[in-house]
Amino acid sequence: MIRLSNVSWRRERKASTPVLSNLSFSVPQGGFRWLLGPSGAGKTSLLSLLHVENLPSDGTLCLLDKDVTAHTPRAVLVRLRQRIGMVHQDFRLMPDLSVADNVALPLRLQHRPEDKITDEVHAILKWVGLGNQLNVRASRLSGGEQQRTAIARAIVHRPGLILADEPTNALEEPQAHKLLDMFSELSSMGTTVIVATHNEALVRRLPRPALTLERGRLVQDGA
Amino acid sequence: MEPKPWPFPFRPKDGLSLSEALPDRSLFILVAMMSFLAALTLTGATGARTLSTRWAGGAAQLLTIQVSEPDQPLSGASKSDKTASQSRAEIVQADLATLPAGTQVHRLTQEELARLLTPWLGDAGKTALPLPAVIEVRLAEGHEAPADLEQTLNAHVPGTVVEHNAEWSSRLRALAESLMACAALALVTVGGIATMITALATRAGLSTRRDIIEILHGLGATDSYIAGRFASRTGGLALGGGLLGTLLAMAPLLLLFRMAAPFAASTLQAATPAMPDWRTLPDLLPGDMLAGLAALPCVAAFIGWTTTQIMVRIWLRRMP
Ligand SMILES: Nc1ncnc2c1ncn2[C@@H]1O[C@H](COP(=O)(O)OP(=O)(O)O)[C@@H](O)[C@H]1O
Ligand SMILES: [Mg+2]
Repeated sequence: MIRLSNVSWRRERKASTPVLSNLSFSVPQGGFRWLLGPSGAGKTSLLSLLHVENLPSDGTLCLLDKDVTAHTPRAVLVRLRQRIGMVHQDFRLMPDLSVADNVALPLRLQHRPEDKITDEVHAILKWVGLGNQLNVRASRLSGGEQQRTAIARAIVHRPGLILADEPTNALEEPQAHKLLDMFSELSSMGTTVIVATHNEALVRRLPRPALTLERGRLVQDGA
Repeated sequence: MEPKPWPFPFRPKDGLSLSEALPDRSLFILVAMMSFLAALTLTGATGARTLSTRWAGGAAQLLTIQVSEPDQPLSGASKSDKTASQSRAEIVQADLATLPAGTQVHRLTQEELARLLTPWLGDAGKTALPLPAVIEVRLAEGHEAPADLEQTLNAHVPGTVVEHNAEWSSRLRALAESLMACAALALVTVGGIATMITALATRAGLSTRRDIIEILHGLGATDSYIAGRFASRTGGLALGGGLLGTLLAMAPLLLLFRMAAPFAASTLQAATPAMPDWRTLPDLLPGDMLAGLAALPCVAAFIGWTTTQIMVRIWLRRMP
C-alpha cells in the first residue's frame, strides 16, 4: 500500500521551484503502475521518495503501512528500505564485487543463513540468464548484464514493493518481455510494482494503470 | 557451459565480501610514512631527554674538595683528641663518610694529580710546590650535598675548599631544558601533522567509496553497520601502516641509540668511548620510549577508525 497526499519535494530546502508538486495518489498492495512522462518530468525523483532515499518536503507519504516523515525513527526507515527492491537507472552495483556477491547483498544485510543465500542467488541469476557468470566482477559486465544483475538484486529478497527506473533500457526485447511477465506475476502474488519507462511498446504489451508526470505534476493518477 | 561452483567467491571472514570494495593502499602507505616520521621524532625527543637529564643531574651530584697541607696533622687540636694521629686529609675523608649511603669518595692519587696538573705546571711530580689533596665526591643519584658541608668541614679542618659544580650544573640544566622544549615541540608538531595526514588520507580513501556507502544505505544497511565496516577496514589498514612505519624506523633508531650510548653515561669512571654490543642494546633503550613506539600503530589505527566513523556517519546523516 502506497499513499501520497499533497506531496511536494524540493532538491534543496530553499529551492524556489519544487521538483515534484502536490502529488496525491494511492496504489493498493499488489497493484501495478506504470510511471510515465517525458524526460525530466520527475519520475526518478518520485521513485527516490518511494525508496526513502529522500523525504517529502511537504505532504504525507505512507509506504507499506508506515508513515514516512522527518520524524520517523531511522531504524524504521532502514527496515522499510529492506522491504523495497529498487532497480536504479544507473544500476548502482558494487563494481569490485562479483555478480553473485552483488545479488547476495540484500540477503546478507538481513542475516539470512549462507546456504539459503547460495540457493536463492543461484536460482535468481539463472532466471535472469546470468547463471554462468556468478563469479564475474560487476565492473566487467555489459550494460544489459549489469541491468539484469540489478534486477536480480532488487527481487532476490522478495520485497513488498518493487520500484524500477527504466529497467528495460539496456535489455533485448525478449528479455524485456520476460521481465515484464515476471513483474506482472509478482504483482498478482501481492507485491506492489511501479515501473518508470519511456517504452510505449512495453506499456501497450501490459496494459495497466499509469501515473503520468509532467513538469513535476501528476496529470494522470492511475486510478 | 556449466556454472562455476558457488559459493566460491564468498569470503567468510567478511560478512558482505566487502573488503575488495573498501579504501586501501594509499592510506596504508601514507600512514606507514607518517608513523616512520613519528617514531623517529619520538626517539629523538626521548634521546634528548635522556642525555640532558643525565648531564644536568650528574653535574649537580659532583663535588670537588681541596684540602691544603693535606698530610699535616691538625694544628691546634687538643692532644687528647682521637684525631691527633690523623692527617688533615684523612679527617676530611672521615667526615665525608657520613654523607648518604652510595656516595663515592675518591682522593686523587699523586699520579692522578700530577696528570691533571701537567698541562699547567709541566712535570708537576717533581715540583716542590705543596699540592693540596683533591677529593672527588660523587653523590648517589637523587641525593644532594648538604648546603653547610663547607662550613662543617671548615670547622674541623680550616682551609678546606668545597667546589660545587652548581653553576656548571645550572647552565647544563638550562641547556637540557631548552633541548627538551625543542623535542617536545617537534613531537607535538609531528604528532599533529601525522594525525591530520592520517585523517585526510582516510577521508580521501573514503570519498572515492562514497557511492558504495550510498548503495549500502539504499539496500537497507544500518548506519552503525556501514560505519563499522568501513572503520574496521581503515582502522586495520592504519594499524598495518603504523606497524610497518614503526618497524622501519627501528633500524636507524637502534643505530642512533648505539652511537649515543657512550654520551649517556653518568660518571666519568663509567664512561667508555666504546659503543655497546648490539645484544645489550635493548636494555639501554628507555622503557617509556619503547612503550611510545608500541603505541604508535595503535594510535594510527584509532585515528583511522575514529575519522571513518565520524565521516561515514556525517555522510549518512545527510540521507534519511
Ligand atoms: N542531480 C540533479 N541535480 C539537479 N537537478 C537535477 C538532478 N537530477 C535531475 N534534476 C532535475 O530534476 C528534474 C526531475 O528530474 P528526474 O526526476 O530525473 O526526471 P526523469 O526521471 O523523469 O527524467 C529535472 O528538471 C532534472 O533536470
Ligand atoms: Mg529518470
